[in-house]
Amino acid sequence: MEKKDMTLIGIAIVICVIICVLSPYIASGDPDGLEKSAEDSGLPEDFSVEEINGIPEAIFPDYAFANDPDNQALQIVALVIGAIVTLVVGFGVAYIVKSRN
Amino acid sequence: MHIPDGFIPIAQCLVYYVILIVALYFSVRWARSNLDEKRIPLLAVLAAGIFAIMSMNMPIPFGTSGHMVGGALVAIVFLAPEAAVLVFTVVLLIQALIFGDGGITALGANVLNMAIIGGFVGLFTFKGLNGTIGKYPAAGIGAWLATVVAALACAIEMGIAGTFPMNIGIPSMVLYHIFIGIIEAVLTVIVLAALDKFRPDLLAWNSGDA
Repeated sequence: MEKKDMTLIGIAIVICVIICVLSPYIASGDPDGLEKSAEDSGLPEDFSVEEINGIPEAIFPDYAFANDPDNQALQIVALVIGAIVTLVVGFGVAYIVKSRN
Repeated sequence: MHIPDGFIPIAQCLVYYVILIVALYFSVRWARSNLDEKRIPLLAVLAAGIFAIMSMNMPIPFGTSGHMVGGALVAIVFLAPEAAVLVFTVVLLIQALIFGDGGITALGANVLNMAIIGGFVGLFTFKGLNGTIGKYPAAGIGAWLATVVAALACAIEMGIAGTFPMNIGIPSMVLYHIFIGIIEAVLTVIVLAALDKFRPDLLAWNSGDA
């Protein structure tokens, strides 16, 4: 890999970590557009159109540690893990599907 | 606009999964002839950056919040909505499986809204306006429109699913995403400008394709 690509990845990791560190503290906790629209139409919070079974539990539900969901330091850890996993899987997928010319 | 599990009946989820599989077929075919070695890191860092920025919900009016999505951005960077499909399948799958954000059953619908609709609307708005108003205004309007149209599509899907009626869902979703789209537009333009300044070789519009 060329040096300028390493620089791109390095800068991207720094930006991602900054976002992940700030997010638990400054991100708005208000409902997003879809949640708010569901509220507008009077949907209960645990609404489901039909019973769906067999959905595995998320490892980090709502980007937090399940046993300490309000711990913001652990939320940062969860987010950073997520960003790194995404970077690695993104690389893997891109490498697998890349042009063979 | 991550649709959770339970908002779409399984039978309809399958339809969206079929759309996802067809989209992935075309996306892999695109990558096989267009994703050269030097753009592999770009695709990966866009995925990681989109994962991170989606955690940064910003307040908008009406006690609501929203975050950048990035479908238009990826489509414009590569001048290919297929790239957005690849990036968002990765990001949304990780968010659904590890973080419970967006449903596993709703993955097809979420990729349809954010990557396919977002990518196509963003890219073709950009292409349509680029010649007359310049690339950054065109990209900004493309990103804004991508957000609003994706939200409209999401509201229609919720209506078909019977989760909330379109007469409430469409005005609500469109109204909130008119504001969320401004966040999308600003950040899309900033990232494109930064790439154009520091790594112009990575932008497809500099390869004479635009």
